Amino acid sequence: MTLQLQAPSFAASISSFVSPLNRSTRRPVIRAKAEPSDKSVEIMRKFSEQYARKSGTYFCVDKGVTSVVIKGLADHKDSLGAPLCPCRHYDDKPAEAGQGFWNCPCVPMRERKECHCMLFLTPDNDFAGPEQAISLEEIRESTANM
Amino acid sequence: MAVSVTASTILSLSSDRTTRLAAAAASSSSSSCSKLSSSTSLRFPAQLRRVRIGTQDSRPRLLPRVEAKKQTFSSFQDLLATSEKPVLVDFYATWCGPCQFMAPILNEVSITLNDKIQVVKIDTEKYPSIADKYNIQALPTFIIFKDGEPFDRFEGAMTADQLVERIETTLKVK
Repeated sequence: MTLQLQAPSFAASISSFVSPLNRSTRRPVIRAKAEPSDKSVEIMRKFSEQYARKSGTYFCVDKGVTSVVIKGLADHKDSLGAPLCPCRHYDDKPAEAGQGFWNCPCVPMRERKECHCMLFLTPDNDFAGPEQAISLEEIRESTANM
Repeated sequence: MAVSVTASTILSLSSDRTTRLAAAAASSSSSSCSKLSSSTSLRFPAQLRRVRIGTQDSRPRLLPRVEAKKQTFSSFQDLLATSEKPVLVDFYATWCGPCQFMAPILNEVSITLNDKIQVVKIDTEKYPSIADKYNIQALPTFIIFKDGEPFDRFEGAMTADQLVERIETTLKVK
């Protein structure tokens, strides 16, 4: 509060530095990890199973990895309208989602079966498990602590 | 707006666009992004009036807190500058599977190599400017900083043994 009164231009020019009161009401939003919608998770879960079968790839031996990626895809589908790869950093997410190179299944996966998310693993990969299926329950349990 | 440090001294940046970071040593698990200190918002030292948005280069300020284990850094640059050991930085995202896979491995490596390296995790969605600065693309990306500058850089998940070997090999080249 004192900060704002003493230097009003300061408060105006730095939008991220709001008063402690605002910060404390903002904080839960910053802290909370947004959960993707159940509908999108189910869509991406089904997609992952189908695409693994179609491409002859397998899920990670650690299904937690699979679960997190599926939720990441669902989260981007919710926020961007397209399942942008969750294992990349982007300058402009909406632009990337519109452009499509990194929409799952991304071009590297389609062309060379390269999935650095460890969602679709070729059988020779050290981390590849024996399964091409994952249940909603597995996803929920693996990501319950997030 | 805090950085929390686990028992094995992993620092985790998961707050947004602020140049104030607080590191806290905690003895519990490494999923420390949620353990944001609730009292940093009450501490606005006078120096913050000079802070400008979008700049990481605010005047460095070390603000020791009452709690013995916490430290505050004014920026990522300050963190790099004040570290006596080389720093391994893990650039990650919440919903990146391999990044979450690496979390316990980083914990383990941080303990194993405690005297050789400082481990820091940066949430690229909360700190996009830092991620942009170092041209981060695939996640996870690991950068080993020596004397404040990137010294080695590699991507992807790996086992604890592989990570330890990579770090030790890199640090041997002086």
